Amino acid sequence: MSGPFLLFRLSLKRVRTLLCTTGLVLAGVQALRVRIAASLHSDGQFEQLAALLPSSVRGILGPSLSSVMSFNGIVCGVYFDTGFMIALLALTIAVSTVPASEMETGFADLILARPMRRHWLITRTIALALVSILLMLLMIMAGTWAGLAMFAPPDVAWPPARQTASLALYLAMLLVCWSGVAMALGAACRRGVAGATTSLIAFAALLLDWAHRLWPALDRIAWLSPFYYFSPYELVAGKSLPLEDLVILWAIAMSGFTVAYLIILQRDISR
Amino acid sequence: MQNHQLAAPSPAEPQEPIPCGPGQNPRATTDRASAPAISIRGLAKRYGPITALKELNLDIGRGEIFGFLGLNGAGKTTTIRLLLDLIRPTSGQAFIFGYNCWTEGLDARARIGYLPGELGLYLDLTGLETLEFLAGLNRQPVDKRRRQELCDRLELPGRDLRRRLREYSAGMKRKLGIIQAFQGEPPLLILDEPTEGLDPLMQESFYGLLSDVKRGGATVFMSSHVLCEVERVCDRIALLRKGEMVLLSSVRESRRLAPRRVRVLFSKNVSANPEFPPGHELTEKASRLWRLEVTGPIGPLLALLEGLPVEDMEVEEARLEDVVLRYYREEGS
Repeated sequence: MSGPFLLFRLSLKRVRTLLCTTGLVLAGVQALRVRIAASLHSDGQFEQLAALLPSSVRGILGPSLSSVMSFNGIVCGVYFDTGFMIALLALTIAVSTVPASEMETGFADLILARPMRRHWLITRTIALALVSILLMLLMIMAGTWAGLAMFAPPDVAWPPARQTASLALYLAMLLVCWSGVAMALGAACRRGVAGATTSLIAFAALLLDWAHRLWPALDRIAWLSPFYYFSPYELVAGKSLPLEDLVILWAIAMSGFTVAYLIILQRDISR
Repeated sequence: MQNHQLAAPSPAEPQEPIPCGPGQNPRATTDRASAPAISIRGLAKRYGPITALKELNLDIGRGEIFGFLGLNGAGKTTTIRLLLDLIRPTSGQAFIFGYNCWTEGLDARARIGYLPGELGLYLDLTGLETLEFLAGLNRQPVDKRRRQELCDRLELPGRDLRRRLREYSAGMKRKLGIIQAFQGEPPLLILDEPTEGLDPLMQESFYGLLSDVKRGGATVFMSSHVLCEVERVCDRIALLRKGEMVLLSSVRESRRLAPRRVRVLFSKNVSANPEFPPGHELTEKASRLWRLEVTGPIGPLLALLEGLPVEDMEVEEARLEDVVLRYYREEGS
């Protein structure tokens, strides 16, 4: 078995508990979410619920409000629910800063003192982040399917597979984008610093995105936020996946990965 | 004790420079099979205004056990990390068995077993998982019998290997570190403070291991603060001071730089106040006892004692520790 594969396998093994726990929790919460959506549907409470939403949330949702405030919208809302996104972002940041942790603990010394190229620390982490994101989305999909199978009222149509896949891909791309940011920072600084900085940037970017939807004056700088290129509500309303947004998110991710490669190849490996 | 009467230690002799441009190694193309285990030429590392290592030149032959000494921050670990390409030099070159440590780093590191000073291990892994993972990163498969032999010698039984590292004591982690460095039977072992945390019995086992690998033809490059250990196991030593090599010598030669302690006991009171030749320092004078420190041959002292009522005389062998401590004190002052 080759060294890089062993490194990947070890890293996956070390995060497996985190991945499984997070995945199971997210899948369970999503099944519960379907249960709530079914209950709201049975009671015909979507319109009342929409009326209860604060004007700021209505502003953020815009014309997609009616689509989001439906059985389909609640079920698919898992792909842009703030709580889910925060959990997935935290997981992505944790996985993407593994090289920083390895350098900090000195484990990287043991790896790189052997015939292993430095870039494998980053290449392995990219693979690990992609696998983690894929696994989380599959678990959420599984939770959705289980929830629908158990709780969906017979008179509602299940969300179309194409729409679900598009939303999952969209969210995956957003997470990969933040993985790139975290990895670039993690290649340069300590894990705690990289994690905290990425989280702060992500939080600021999310606030900026929300704010610009309410105050158009912020449009001039809103494009700086990766969340600007993530508009899942429109997908729920029936629009197709915006390829341009995907390309921009992918480009941010690639830039982050490239910076991480360049830093790791140049820097001194020290604690 | 005054040090100024010690023989002036000879400064580190610069090694013969090898003319070569960046990325080139004439030995690599001509005679890699007989290249030194480690060859360092003009190696320097600076961190901004701080010089961690200054123009180091050093050749370490195959089959040598080489001790790398110096106070904390002298540049020992920096040199080791440069050889492993963990940090990049400001200038200079280094070769492992003729392979450039940076341009041919994979080939160089394929021949190294490394024990870091501070082992960075994942505490959620078991000892066996750690050993197997690290063995898998080597080019050559690890002989499990060899690993078992190492575990037996260092008394790390299978029961302990199946435990998670968070349950390990510092000494057990050190043993694991030694096993991971030795298990691939590399031709070059780079060991940073190898016996730190080992109990005296395990230290003995480790010394036995070192002499076995030396018999097998391996080269050992080790840094250590334990001078009696270096004196016991090393063939040659280099001493670093503030990033600069100030002594490069065999252990035997180094000892000659230190004075021997001589105790002369007289059968009668002696009131003579002789003038001692250079290299002789009288450190204690009583009516029937003299204590001296003698650097160099002892013949002149014997001539001087002729005619005095000498009852007994003890000559204590010079210790490496005396030489090294002198350098350390000079650094401190």
